[in-house]
Amino acid sequence: MSRYRFLWKKIGWAIFTVLFVVVLNFFLFRVLPGDPVRSGTRDPRLKKDAQEALRIRFGLDKPVINCFETLNPIKVGDCAINPFETQFFIYLRNLTQGELGFSFHTNRPVAEVLGARLWNTLLLIGAGQILSIVIGMIFGILAAWKARTSIDYGALITGLVAWSLPTFWLGIILLFWGSNNGFPIGGKATPGTSSYPFFYQVGDILRHMILPTLTYTIVYMGEYLLVMRSSLLDVLAEDYILTAKAKGLTTFQILKDHALKNAMLPIVTIIAINLGFTVAGAIQIESVFSWPGLGGAVYEALERRDYPVLQGVFLLIAISVVLANLIADLTYSFLDPRVQAE
Amino acid sequence: MAIKAAELKPAVPSSPLSGFWRTFSKNRMGVVGLVMLVVAIVVAIFAPLISPYDPRTSKGLTSSDIYNAPSAEHWLGTDDAGKDVFSSFIYGSRVSLIVGFFAAFISIVIGGVIGIVAGFYGGRTENLLMRFTDLLLVIPDLPLIVVIVALTKPSLLNIIFVIGLLGWTTTARIVRSQTLAVKSRKFVLRARAIGAGNRHIILNHILPLVLPLLVVNAILVISLAILNESTLSFLGLGDPTAISWGQMLNFAFGRGAMSAGAWWALATPGFGIVWVVLSLTLLGHGLEQVLNPRLESHHLMPGRPTIQSEAEVKSEDRKRRKESPVLLDVRNLSVQFLNDGSVAQAVHNVSFQLHEGEMMGLVGESGCGKTTLIMALNRLLPAAGRISNGYVYFRGKDLASASEEELADVRWSGISIVFQGAMNALNPVRTVGDQIKEAIIKHIPTMPPGQLNERVVELLELVGIAAEHKNHFPHQYSGGMRQRAMIAMALSCNPEVVIADEPTTALDVMIQAQILELLDLLRKKLGLAVIFVTHDLGVVAEMCDSVLVMYGGVTAEFAEVDTIYNLPRHPYTQELLKAFPDLSQPEKRLISIPGYPPKLDALPPGCRFAPRCPLAFERCSTEMPRLHELGDGHLASCHLVEAS
Amino acid sequence: MKIKYNFLVVVTLLALVLSACGGLGQGTPVVLRVGWAGSPDTLNPGTGVLAEAYTIFALVYDTIYEYQLDGTYKLDVAESVEVSDDNLTYTFKIRDGINFHDGQPMTAQDVAFSVNLYKNNPDFIYLNAYTVNFDTVEATDDSTVVITMLSAVPNMDYLLSYLYIVPEHVWADYTEAPASTEFENLEMVGTGPFKMLEYVQNEFVRLGANKEHFDNPPKVDEVIFQTFESDDVLVQSLRSGAVDMITEMPATAVETLQGDSTIQVVTGAPFAPYVSDVIFNQVDPENCPTDVGGICTGHPALRDRNVRLALAHATDKQKLIDIVLLGFGAPGLTLIPDGLGHWYNDSLQDYEFDVANANQILDDAGYLDTDGDGVREMPDGSRPLTFRTHWPSDSIDAPRMAELLSEMWSEVGVTLELQAIDPDALTAECCPAFDFDIILWGWGSDPDPNLLLSVYATSEIPNGYNETGYSNPAYDELYVQQGVELDLDKRRELVWQMQEIVFNDVVYIIPFYSQTIEAYRVDRFTGWITDTPKIELSDVSSLVQVEPVK
Repeated sequence: MSRYRFLWKKIGWAIFTVLFVVVLNFFLFRVLPGDPVRSGTRDPRLKKDAQEALRIRFGLDKPVINCFETLNPIKVGDCAINPFETQFFIYLRNLTQGELGFSFHTNRPVAEVLGARLWNTLLLIGAGQILSIVIGMIFGILAAWKARTSIDYGALITGLVAWSLPTFWLGIILLFWGSNNGFPIGGKATPGTSSYPFFYQVGDILRHMILPTLTYTIVYMGEYLLVMRSSLLDVLAEDYILTAKAKGLTTFQILKDHALKNAMLPIVTIIAINLGFTVAGAIQIESVFSWPGLGGAVYEALERRDYPVLQGVFLLIAISVVLANLIADLTYSFLDPRVQAE
Repeated sequence: MAIKAAELKPAVPSSPLSGFWRTFSKNRMGVVGLVMLVVAIVVAIFAPLISPYDPRTSKGLTSSDIYNAPSAEHWLGTDDAGKDVFSSFIYGSRVSLIVGFFAAFISIVIGGVIGIVAGFYGGRTENLLMRFTDLLLVIPDLPLIVVIVALTKPSLLNIIFVIGLLGWTTTARIVRSQTLAVKSRKFVLRARAIGAGNRHIILNHILPLVLPLLVVNAILVISLAILNESTLSFLGLGDPTAISWGQMLNFAFGRGAMSAGAWWALATPGFGIVWVVLSLTLLGHGLEQVLNPRLESHHLMPGRPTIQSEAEVKSEDRKRRKESPVLLDVRNLSVQFLNDGSVAQAVHNVSFQLHEGEMMGLVGESGCGKTTLIMALNRLLPAAGRISNGYVYFRGKDLASASEEELADVRWSGISIVFQGAMNALNPVRTVGDQIKEAIIKHIPTMPPGQLNERVVELLELVGIAAEHKNHFPHQYSGGMRQRAMIAMALSCNPEVVIADEPTTALDVMIQAQILELLDLLRKKLGLAVIFVTHDLGVVAEMCDSVLVMYGGVTAEFAEVDTIYNLPRHPYTQELLKAFPDLSQPEKRLISIPGYPPKLDALPPGCRFAPRCPLAFERCSTEMPRLHELGDGHLASCHLVEAS
Repeated sequence: MKIKYNFLVVVTLLALVLSACGGLGQGTPVVLRVGWAGSPDTLNPGTGVLAEAYTIFALVYDTIYEYQLDGTYKLDVAESVEVSDDNLTYTFKIRDGINFHDGQPMTAQDVAFSVNLYKNNPDFIYLNAYTVNFDTVEATDDSTVVITMLSAVPNMDYLLSYLYIVPEHVWADYTEAPASTEFENLEMVGTGPFKMLEYVQNEFVRLGANKEHFDNPPKVDEVIFQTFESDDVLVQSLRSGAVDMITEMPATAVETLQGDSTIQVVTGAPFAPYVSDVIFNQVDPENCPTDVGGICTGHPALRDRNVRLALAHATDKQKLIDIVLLGFGAPGLTLIPDGLGHWYNDSLQDYEFDVANANQILDDAGYLDTDGDGVREMPDGSRPLTFRTHWPSDSIDAPRMAELLSEMWSEVGVTLELQAIDPDALTAECCPAFDFDIILWGWGSDPDPNLLLSVYATSEIPNGYNETGYSNPAYDELYVQQGVELDLDKRRELVWQMQEIVFNDVVYIIPFYSQTIEAYRVDRFTGWITDTPKIELSDVSSLVQVEPVK
């Protein structure tokens, strides 16, 4: 099929997935038992009227999907005037306007709460991913090139051990070693420095980023190392490598011009798939290092059962993963000329 | 009939399982992983016997027992409730392993079923199932887990189910692709043809082939499940009434282990998790290597240095056969392959001379060492191979002992190769023109870009490929075009010698003829010397000037083409000719040579052809015949020739 | 060239990183850094729920009355008060010369406006509840506020101590819902000793000193409250010097910190006490509140006082305190904690830990182990004494307590089925559903006992705040009485009587009242208030007083 049809098919599927996630998201959190209004504020000072007021404020008094759920004639009457006045449709409407509801906990718009945090997570994950990809690839290449030597075994063992470490455990250990050795104890920046010069702030943030990024890098580098190694091993055994050698190219030239491009194709797919897993990693790292990102938001919202926030994070994360997969697919198709022939 | 470098297969095992075990036991990583895992399982099973205290009770504990450092009574100290960490650690292995295994089991079953059904039935079913799998892959599991755990209770059973229900997606994908691959295999089609039902096919044919892959994947899934359980517990979603390593970490982190200085409460359960997960990873890695053996040798491995081993066979000067200069002088070349301590003699004592403008045919059965020989010339042997004797003189230098830098110069610009089966001999992600250009740039770096492009186009047109294909990729070329492109590339640096390794195998007859014509034309036009490797005697008769017949790694016979066809002296050559159809003698009966070529690691002591030779006598099986010169450069290695 | 470029990049990055380490040196303000594990949920005093929010409110705002760490109230923005004879009219004389942080003067109009703001917004979760008895609130002139009541109350000072004075000129547009509840109040203009400088939720709160405060100008220039995700990290932050004081820490770290000469650990009764409880489902099935969703599946044995009494005797509270709190707590009596000072009936004698006695009580009451499996059954032999025991899954101490109780009570032939439950699900099954046997939970408290006393009242069963289903008309009457008794001593007597009643009925088992544990660095700031009956280092009294160590 032509390149364009291929593209549109992928994009269409991505859109469908997003819609699916949107709907799933809604029902996921409505299925929960208990009363978020009550349990969030377990206190006898919260009188009945105040409870009702809270419920109305969060729109929890409306029927969930359709008007005939509650057989209360008053409610149904309201609905008859506007059949789309149900929680589900309100949710959808709000989404199109970029509104993700209000946090039970702080009453601020969820979108606002998550907005700043999204960038913080992207910063951390971005740096971590880049480092782990680079380091993993370098050592993977080294291992494959020097296959069956001690360098190979060393790199392999390192990768396997790194992959086996539980993320939060490594984070805790690094945090305590680091805090006794001059590293910041957590957070993104030293409080009170927002009026300091720009370069000071940048340096401050970088200093805070070192340990969490290191944790992230160690844990995820292992996988890239292993994949790069096996991918490169496969590539280096291909006939065209022999052709290149027969042409008189040096080992370095062959690696650079023939092997790497081909060996990197699986990495692209892995990066996208990994995004789903890095969410779990981000949650752990951000909670250990008090990094104010989406992962930390999940952790806090989990603790306080702040469902609108959880819902918003879930949606954001799912959409990011879908996007990342789409980008990976498209990138792969651009890199590998054979794909168009499918 | 194409072969690559000599591949040594291990002897056929007596039973599949013992064969598997033998291979596996050689894989160090896998064995270490297995041992580590067995230790963990044994500890878990015998926990009550090994554990010094019972961590399930707090009888007799007081607050002074809390966070005690490791001591004689408590080898790994105590935790936040005063319990012995070592005992909790041992009991914790049970929960972690059980959760891991059962959750993984659920994932594998679901993933396996979905994968097989999708792959086998294909069509709509496959589409639906795979779309569903993709959807789930995208959804982040943690919020999902929160919901399910909240809906039910944070108990071990629920955690097992939740992890299991979310972990099947990668398994499904892998199983599906494997099922697809197996489905189209011949024996499945055959089973269908005789009317076997779907269930039967799935259970008896597909499942056994999918199972190994499933096992390897299962190991990965188990390790992920164990990591997941520890993460869940750390986040406070675990079951606090069960002692698991994750739960131990949750209590330690939540009840101030580090600030109390109780590093043992954090280090121990973490170590446990790493141990088990690492054991599974090593085991999985090892299994994968056994089931999907990659030779773990590749083309960029450093080559072995050349040695001169056989003392008795000194290089001999030979008389020139012709007046024209000798381009390539190969003397007593021997090549060995070293594998796990065993030595296989792939080529033994081969000599020939290639004159300018000459086309030498190199013939012999599969496995006789033709490809090994030509690879040795440019020192392109695989990592297991080395030149064990002899010289390769080209441009006055001995290539066999030359350095890599010197070789890099000679390769392609002096001797180039047209590989057989150009399917993969060209890099699929680079354009053909690019790859030709690359060769030129390497050896003539000063050529300006404009001229480069012209030269590439010129080369392509030389072989009959239109210029517009310059920027196309190899998969856009037909088989014949690819082969011609390979020829173009081989000529790009104006080499003196071109080696064509069965360039027309796997091409249809019409294309074959084209390519051969082209080769011949180019040879005459450009004054090349060509070594033409083939098993097609008809082509040799038509195009070659001289012929080198190889058998079992040695020179059977070497002579001018007329001599070979009309006066073959070696019994092998004679039999070969008898087995080949001759258009001029349509009624000639074809007699095939009974028997099989020798295994290179189990060579007979005497003449290598003796077991199949109709003229063999006693001496043949005990003494290896020398290469006798029969005048005019005609060589034959046979005892029968000795007399004359 | 390429190498040089890379080198430059690396050098630049290093420089940035190192420059942050140095910090700036010009005229730095005196900054006090406090570490805590939570964060205010909002800066809007009307909608705030978390304790951390109230800590900030108390620092940034003033009130008519202020609660002291010794348990008394003192007049704050008001300099005097007159109460009418019928106790229905309060006239407050407001001080002169108080200014808001933005420079505008504070008058009686602002005071009245604030009280009315809370009174007219039923959406204000907590603060509105304090005004239920207010009839009218008026500023009769610039320095007089008159509040009339619907009925007389004994604790006006308590009620007013939470009604933060906000500026009318800022809040004028936000007097009604939904504006009032949606207003984020990020600038937080008040009259208190500290003013809001910067707030990043879940990261930090930065307050600057209000040196012109009429009563308590702080000695430091700034206070920063920094949020850390876990207690362990909090302790580490103090040790590494990232913060100068921490408002909470795990008991397990006390020993380590006590060995550190740069740190001083402070323990004592918490300012806002928390009471852990063992809830017995003893609701009468005939009075099951089915119209509000009551299911009432409680084990019948728990309705028998004898069983509860036996369990009380079978509970080794000291061991619970030792293991769960590492000793930082005192054995509990009823829901009224010792931290409530004179309200606490300390004359009650707790049930002794006596397993033999417990067994005897159960034997005499007819709960025998008829089948010899170690578990007693009901007198009619129908059900074994196996109780479903749940706790909220977000509690890290409850599992330990549950384990210990399970072991202790197995000595008297009772078994527990332990299960952690999601807090929401737990609320759903607790009350008014009453679908449980035993729950391990707890209550936070105000300085006034009224809230905690209401939990025992029958009137709170349909509301779900009475979690045991306990219903005693004698108690209910006393509860109503103490709510209107104006004489302090008489009211206290009533409260003591109420405690005695529920203690004798063994409505709950209260394992302990936990202490607060805080710590500060002795080498940074001095002047911490540590000798009061209640401990809160982040209380305004401490924070305005501390100054750097010379």
